[in-house]
Amino acid sequence: MGFWKKNCLEQKENSPSQGKCGGRRDFLKSAARAAALGSATLVSGCGTDALGSKEELGLQWQEYFKKHYRLMTPEEKDETVRRLERLAKLQTEADIQVGAYGPVKDVLYGYAFNITRCEGYMECVSACVKENNLDRDSNTQYIRIFEMEHGQMSPDSGEGKYFHPVPVDGRFYMGVQCFQCQNPPCVKACPTKATWQEPDGIVVVDYDWCIGCRYCMAACPYWGRRFNWNKPRVPRDEMTKKQHYLGNRMRVKGTMEKCTFCIQRTRKGRLPACAEACPTGARVFGNLLDPDSEIRFVLKNKKVFRWKEDLGTDPKFWYFID
Amino acid sequence: MKTIGFKYTLSGIATTLLLIFSVAVVVAGSKGVTETYKQATAPFEDTTQVGDVQPLPADAVLVNSRYQGGRFWTRTRKEKIQRFKCSQCHNNKEVLVPQAAEMAHGDIVLVHGGKQKPLNCFTCHKKDERDFLVIEKDTRVDMDHSYQLCGQCHFRQKSDWVGGAHGKRISHWAGKRVITNCTACHDPHSPRFEKRWPKTYSRPLTK
Repeated sequence: MGFWKKNCLEQKENSPSQGKCGGRRDFLKSAARAAALGSATLVSGCGTDALGSKEELGLQWQEYFKKHYRLMTPEEKDETVRRLERLAKLQTEADIQVGAYGPVKDVLYGYAFNITRCEGYMECVSACVKENNLDRDSNTQYIRIFEMEHGQMSPDSGEGKYFHPVPVDGRFYMGVQCFQCQNPPCVKACPTKATWQEPDGIVVVDYDWCIGCRYCMAACPYWGRRFNWNKPRVPRDEMTKKQHYLGNRMRVKGTMEKCTFCIQRTRKGRLPACAEACPTGARVFGNLLDPDSEIRFVLKNKKVFRWKEDLGTDPKFWYFID
Repeated sequence: MKTIGFKYTLSGIATTLLLIFSVAVVVAGSKGVTETYKQATAPFEDTTQVGDVQPLPADAVLVNSRYQGGRFWTRTRKEKIQRFKCSQCHNNKEVLVPQAAEMAHGDIVLVHGGKQKPLNCFTCHKKDERDFLVIEKDTRVDMDHSYQLCGQCHFRQKSDWVGGAHGKRISHWAGKRVITNCTACHDPHSPRFEKRWPKTYSRPLTK
């Protein structure tokens, strides 16, 4: 209650005409001020304590009442990005750079995976975990690589926990991740419109609008989505500092996340982390709308197939054979 | 006459309705990815559209072939070979070297070409000009352009490499096309990838 009293005294000094301490106007004024600082200050009555500073609480308050990403004006996007950067600095002393840059015009991202070339080293998996700030405690991974017998057609029955040097003769390796469907069932399942498809074909999640119902997880026929059962933990020196609002910025407990083709990289013209890390060149990434791109060459000249094409989800991820 | 006219009108109306309906279906039904990309034939101006495209790396070298989008680059090889130039030693003069066995490439094991048709050093290296490689008819090839040599036998891989289905681009999908050269991934003396332990593991799909 110290906070109230102090407030009251200040009021008295400022306006002597206001006689009684604890009047209705004072009450409303201090209540409004307390609300602006977050109710935590009311309880503790102190500016800086374990719950965070006044600045931090104010930022959290503003973050809590911000709009959906798609409804934000560019200025509002800038503001929330600044807030997120400042909050990260205050909470974890991490100097991150969050971006909210939009899609590149005339671009539709496509991916091709060479099942003849992949040797199962899993370099892509660990590069992805590092780039996308995935939770180290629960060992969350976007990509899965399966070792499969020749003739095996579906990764459902593949072995992901192989424990021997690779490659093994007579086996092949098949990688699975989010396929960025052009007709995504996960988007249709979302009750809060927290997930949608961007114009460049990437299916993204607004982590602040996700309520964690996991309908999308159930709707995805490729098991492409991940849920944060706990607050993700990433060691500060291993954190990727260049982040995107819809990509690898830090998630909170109880939200969905997924592969975004490394939106923070690809929208700047870079390759996704998995494609860059691949030691065998089994991963081909590019612009589907560019007739000269590598991905178009693969689609034109190679034997390609898509997993579960019969479902009509229209994935933008092809497998091909040399 | 009257009934025939009525029938004609009726069938006319039916056809019009059918036409309108089918047009509506075509317009409303979203295009699949395959149709979308097949209709995209205009070249993509990535230098103007993507903000920061990669500048050409210092060690890029123009490739002698063309791909579907014009000229492209690969990375140099010569400056990454530790003891280049080879003619420093291979010059028909007596050289005094400590650890001669090591220096004379005693560490190189040639696992290339199969048992029926094993290769030797001079299948690829030019005997009288050691700074160069050799392709048929005594034509010398610069070490930066070794793809010309590899492509003699591995012609399928070479055409895939030129087109984009073999090898990989360096760091950027946009901007000038710079791709890895053959020797960036393959040891030319033992080109098959070595067996090694995977970096991590994957959980089954349904979990």
